[in-house]
Amino acid sequence: MINQKALFSDNILSLRDLDIGESVSKCLAPKLDVLKGKKIVFCYDDKKMMPVDGWGMRSNPYSETTITTIRPIKENALVAAIDSSSIKLAETEDGSLYGIKCGVATAYAGHTLMHFKIGPGLFYLSEKTVHESELEERLSRLVLLDDDLAKRLIRVRVERAVQKEIATNFTNSIILVDGSLKASIFEERGCRISKISESSVLRKNMLVGISKSTKLKALDRAAAPLTKVPGPAYIEVEDIIKSLIRNTIGSNLMVKLEKGTSSPILRADIVGDVRQSLGKLLGNDVVAGGYPETLRLAHHISTFTSIEVTCLRSHILNSYDVTELAAEDIRRTLLGSIPV
Amino acid sequence: MKILSKNGNELLLLAMKEDSAAKGDYLLIEDRSRSMVVQVYDEEYLSSQALVEDIVKEEVVNASSMENLHDPLNIGSLSRLVRDARVFRAKIRASVNDGKLSSDVTWLPSRVESRIRRIAMKELSSLLGRYGVFAIPIGRAGREEEFEIYAEDLDGKLSVITGKKESGKSHLSKMLIKTLVQYGAFVIVFDLNNEYGGLGWSCDGVPSSIHQQVKILEPGKTLRFTLNYCGKTAISGMLRNALDMPAASLREFLRIWDWCESKQSLSIDSIGNAVNTWNINELVRDALVSRYHVIQSSRLFTNGEGSLQFEDIISGNSGAAMIINMGEISPTVRRMVVELVLSKIVDLLEHKKIPPIFLFAEEAHIYVRDTYWEDIITRMRHFGIYTTFITNQPDALSDGIYRQVDNIFLFNFTNDNDLDKISKVSLADNDTIRSIVRTLPQRHCLAIGKAVCDLPVVIKVAAAEILTLGETKKFFTKK
Repeated sequence: MINQKALFSDNILSLRDLDIGESVSKCLAPKLDVLKGKKIVFCYDDKKMMPVDGWGMRSNPYSETTITTIRPIKENALVAAIDSSSIKLAETEDGSLYGIKCGVATAYAGHTLMHFKIGPGLFYLSEKTVHESELEERLSRLVLLDDDLAKRLIRVRVERAVQKEIATNFTNSIILVDGSLKASIFEERGCRISKISESSVLRKNMLVGISKSTKLKALDRAAAPLTKVPGPAYIEVEDIIKSLIRNTIGSNLMVKLEKGTSSPILRADIVGDVRQSLGKLLGNDVVAGGYPETLRLAHHISTFTSIEVTCLRSHILNSYDVTELAAEDIRRTLLGSIPV
Repeated sequence: MKILSKNGNELLLLAMKEDSAAKGDYLLIEDRSRSMVVQVYDEEYLSSQALVEDIVKEEVVNASSMENLHDPLNIGSLSRLVRDARVFRAKIRASVNDGKLSSDVTWLPSRVESRIRRIAMKELSSLLGRYGVFAIPIGRAGREEEFEIYAEDLDGKLSVITGKKESGKSHLSKMLIKTLVQYGAFVIVFDLNNEYGGLGWSCDGVPSSIHQQVKILEPGKTLRFTLNYCGKTAISGMLRNALDMPAASLREFLRIWDWCESKQSLSIDSIGNAVNTWNINELVRDALVSRYHVIQSSRLFTNGEGSLQFEDIISGNSGAAMIINMGEISPTVRRMVVELVLSKIVDLLEHKKIPPIFLFAEEAHIYVRDTYWEDIITRMRHFGIYTTFITNQPDALSDGIYRQVDNIFLFNFTNDNDLDKISKVSLADNDTIRSIVRTLPQRHCLAIGKAVCDLPVVIKVAAAEILTLGETKKFFTKK
């Protein structure tokens, strides 16, 4: 035990006396020696970074997987891509207010046709409103505590509603969905992805979920051979996906939709004939930068602009008899900022 | 409208689509018991990076695909409102204390509490205490409100009417001359294009209200003087300034003049004879002979018959416009005419034989040297000659003239050099001049100076009821 008075009077307090350094080094083994010889990609702002030429064949334990090339099928079919975005707009004493926008972009015979902007809409989530949303008790409490979960709840509900309408009203079409085809805990009973998939099959639609990135590193490595293929192609990764994730629907693939070795490799989940779906997609949609133009357009029309956010705030103040309170960024107030 | 920010003496005002104000309009910012008068001099879109990105994004998306909207909260209309929001740039001109304008603008109006409204010209004039007896209605200002200046604001003042070709300068000057004459003033016009003769006629060919008071003076015809009437001073001034006679030759000429005067035979012929027989150096004789021939060929002088005396015209109380047509005479004769007329008028004013005179000089730099005009301006306003320059070349007038100017009527200029010149020397700030003058339509002018109590006003000059003369002759005529 160090005598406190002696420490402060002599001004000799050091980390060595407290053994902090040793405690920290023992809390978790750094294992930096294992890094030696590894290929590395640095991360920026939590964004998913991909090596331009893939991880290389050497790092790919699945290099013997079959690569299937995709040929565009010049058979006219409607492509409808759906995307949405949600933001948190305000908080009250007992809940939060969220905004949602959804976009549907369509293409036909290699040309963009028209797009639908749905929203912005507002959703107020409080204990009372979440109770009415068919969510189980534990999940609804979580939604109220976690903004990201709340935003996902709103997004999933709205997207599924739109997907369901398209799946039941269109025939012989390709329904493009942003993200994987996976059942979500936030789905409404009548609008589950499984039901949407059933409706699609019944109406001879093809449901394709395309993910811009995947958290599963094994998939990146499995897809590495596709970087060497000159044209559009895919690799089946069903075994990997099914072993890691439950509740996925359809065939699971890693696809490259454009010519050239720099075209990105995307994860795709497909309900329907894989060759037909991807072939018709290439034949009816424009693929630029390795990504379907309809999905890109749906993304752009569904994102919030700062002007829309300002307008929504104005609408809230004018329409719902609410009183705006002065507020501050508590982190900034407490921590301050050191400009560098 | 709301105040956005202040920078120096400039306020930025946020305006939505329905808030209208034109360049030059005056706004009153009322903050509890105090008010501030500001003038809008420029208008731009409310622009931010986010707004621009938003507009570009929408245009790109809509160009590639047809849009269908389902906007239950009608946020799109709000968004369009924001995109159409504008920012008015306004200069702080004065504050209002106890119903009077004051230059105390050291306070800042509240951004939250202030109410901003357009101020009518009548209200502004009342705040300025801008009143007079002899109103000159020159057109409309603000929202089509009748606007008038007062003849008193031109009386004893130096004014400049400037603007690019065909912007409406002559139109305004004719209107001023006509009204001044109607009020009994005497006006001399150096008319370079023989266009002011139309003052005597209405546009439909009927004699105008000042028909009897318009005197067209044609050099060599109706504008002729006797040497006695002009006097030695005027003639020697003409020889020196208009005919560039050297000092030695001028001395000999004055000796000849004195000799002829003593013999009581002062006439063009007697001077001509004397020049030929006088015992002088041959070079001096040559100089005198050449000037004599110019004088003789100008036909400006007579031995008595048909000679003009300004006092004869400026005798009654009815006012007169003396239009000196200089369109068809040579540049030398033009200079002689101007020199003679000005010298004689000064002489008459000095001897109090005539009341003060208003002088309108079109493109003065063409017939009088810069330095000479400065001298004229400095001295003549004390004698009682109140000049108005009309020019399409603002840089033709020297800074010395601009420094003494009381009123400027600025018509449209688009040339940067002209705008530079005007904004440097004018009585209003650079931003106002550059922004407003550049976009003035034809027959609109920005009035600056005493006539508008130093608050710049955009005026739409009224249509003239005067016969238009001096139009450009064209080969290809429209059917």
